[in-house]
Amino acid sequence: MRKEREMTNETTIKKYMPEVSRKEIEELKTTMKAASQKVIADNIEHMKKADPHRPEAMKYFDEISNLFGKRPEEIAAEKAKGKKVIGYMCLFAPTELIMAADAIPVRVNSGWYDTSKLGDRVVPVEVCPVIRSTIGAKMIELSPFLEQSDALISVLTCDGMTKLSEILSDYKTVWGMNVPRIKDSTQSLRFWNDEIKQMKTQIEQFTGNKITRKNLKEAIETSHRATKAFRRLQELRKGSPVIMGRDAMLVNQTYLWDDKKRWTEKTEALCDELEARAQRKDWVCPPDTPRVMITGTPMFWPDSWKLPTLVEESNPAGIIVADELCSGERILNDPVGVDEWSMDDMLNAIGERYLMASICPCFTSKDGNEDRINWLLNKVKEWKVQGVIYYVVRGCMLYAMEYTRVKKALDKINVPVYYLDTEYTREDVGQMKTRVEAFLEMLTARVDI
Amino acid sequence: MNVIGMDLGTQRVKAVLLKDGEVVSRGQALSGFDPIKAAEQAVDDALKQANLKLSDILYFVATGSAMAIAPYANSTISMMGADAKAGVFLFPKARTIIDVGAEEARAIKCGEKGVMVDFVVNERCAAGAGAFIEAMARALEVKLDDMGPLALKAERASPINASCVIFGESDVVSLIHRQESKPEIARAVFDAMADRISSMVHRLGVNPEVVLVGGVAKDLGFVASLNRKLDIKVSIPQYSDYAGALGAALTAAERAKVGSK
Repeated sequence: MRKEREMTNETTIKKYMPEVSRKEIEELKTTMKAASQKVIADNIEHMKKADPHRPEAMKYFDEISNLFGKRPEEIAAEKAKGKKVIGYMCLFAPTELIMAADAIPVRVNSGWYDTSKLGDRVVPVEVCPVIRSTIGAKMIELSPFLEQSDALISVLTCDGMTKLSEILSDYKTVWGMNVPRIKDSTQSLRFWNDEIKQMKTQIEQFTGNKITRKNLKEAIETSHRATKAFRRLQELRKGSPVIMGRDAMLVNQTYLWDDKKRWTEKTEALCDELEARAQRKDWVCPPDTPRVMITGTPMFWPDSWKLPTLVEESNPAGIIVADELCSGERILNDPVGVDEWSMDDMLNAIGERYLMASICPCFTSKDGNEDRINWLLNKVKEWKVQGVIYYVVRGCMLYAMEYTRVKKALDKINVPVYYLDTEYTREDVGQMKTRVEAFLEMLTARVDI
Repeated sequence: MNVIGMDLGTQRVKAVLLKDGEVVSRGQALSGFDPIKAAEQAVDDALKQANLKLSDILYFVATGSAMAIAPYANSTISMMGADAKAGVFLFPKARTIIDVGAEEARAIKCGEKGVMVDFVVNERCAAGAGAFIEAMARALEVKLDDMGPLALKAERASPINASCVIFGESDVVSLIHRQESKPEIARAVFDAMADRISSMVHRLGVNPEVVLVGGVAKDLGFVASLNRKLDIKVSIPQYSDYAGALGAALTAAERAKVGSK
């Protein structure tokens, strides 16, 4: 094992984090946890109201959406039995390897607005709020999943992620994975596959569990089944709307912390209900409601439901039928493609799935990030998207910069796109509402033409 | 058929009364602390001038930042949508509308019949909007209305940063310390605003006829700077500050016809 991969703080001196008194930690944690529980409850209340015939199966996802509820309790129980939890901050983390080593994968990026203000004590406000908020969450131990993580995998995609790993290493063992920025070259894939292999060894040593051919095959199959359910749900959003966008987005995102097998069963059950609903033509909103896709900065539960709520409750209202978010439809879109189930083949297939299938704007190539453009255009066409909202939080440089290219591509096919920049704050809801309403009004007017 | 459009802006409420598609009267009032009352006053003002009563009005449409609490409103239209309608009504060949108000600047691209097809809004800071001129006038110790005529006297430009009112003000202070003349500083303020607004417009693409509306369109200093930056002559309606209300009134006329209450 290469020890230098590990960003572990072996001394007690913190490189970044300030000393915060136990009293302050407890006070802030109590206040912010209460505030967050209220946001979660409010979001769910709004979602319930939006669809009077909300599927039965959504009850399960409502429960799992409670970041302080059942799921962290289950994980705590597993940990008590000796299981390890491996947190990750980016979709590139090979969760199949974590599962194959009988450890629990959880994504730990923070969607809390309040904690981003605490992050300001460590990094300047210009830094992406997802990063600042995650730092703040760690500072006051707000996130059960982050606290439960025994080690973290950090893939060095954007500048924020890169430095976040260093900052979090003040508390936890962090394994950095070095992702090549140009993916269509043979060296890149070779290099990345090597990273995957080293991560396997790392995880094995850390958990004390050998990743066998059988375990890895099982883990890949678990994720195949999840992908199948996931894709089935997105397919159902192609037609007249049978599920509110917010509900589908919540289902997608809970995969990041839920038990994978149970999530798959529940999602299949939800899809059964939705299929029946489609047959009854029981639409969640009038079928001529403008169909919206969201793309841009990842949107983490619960506070970042600000935009989806605005879109679906605006006057005139829209329906979110698709997204291109690494906190959403990119989670399980691509399966690990294995030909032969040898260890080498499986590891290479994992490497390929995480690198080649990714459309993250951290990549470039001789055609630029063409894969993302194609993905978006395909989504627009297949899901009959009428307007795209390009969501960027301040400081999210890669998504902000790729906007111009995306807009050009969408202009060509005459699909309007609106660049909506925001922050981890609730104070701009009024202003966002004005813009979202104007955009939806514009889409409605286009429908009329 | 009488209809009224109301624009509940951050500083003023404006109302436009249309009779069979023609503007009959306009009214306005300061928004102050009670935009509802202000809207009632503006409507009353317009009604009195037209010798009409509230009950003579078939349909009301509201727009502006306080449109959600507008009195009388049968429905609402976004500020961008209203601008688009008014711009194309006033200048039928126009396809780009710029609206510079007290606290927001926006640019709208339209298709035929004044249907908005794209828009951009200035970033949260007021640097691209009227409030910026007010703040800078304070720093220069001149009256707001004198800023424009002052800027037109400038012989050359001195660039300042207009990313934010506060930083803009400190830039102005450093120009004062460098003993630049007031006309040149006033022009620097308008140039900086025009710079920001022209980049917004360029993001949408400039169409040959560009209409400028909103309260700031009355400021000749700003108009001169914007024309220079865009390298065109923008069209400005006589009642540029009533554009939002006019757009709302035109929408009211359409909706009243359809009977979609």
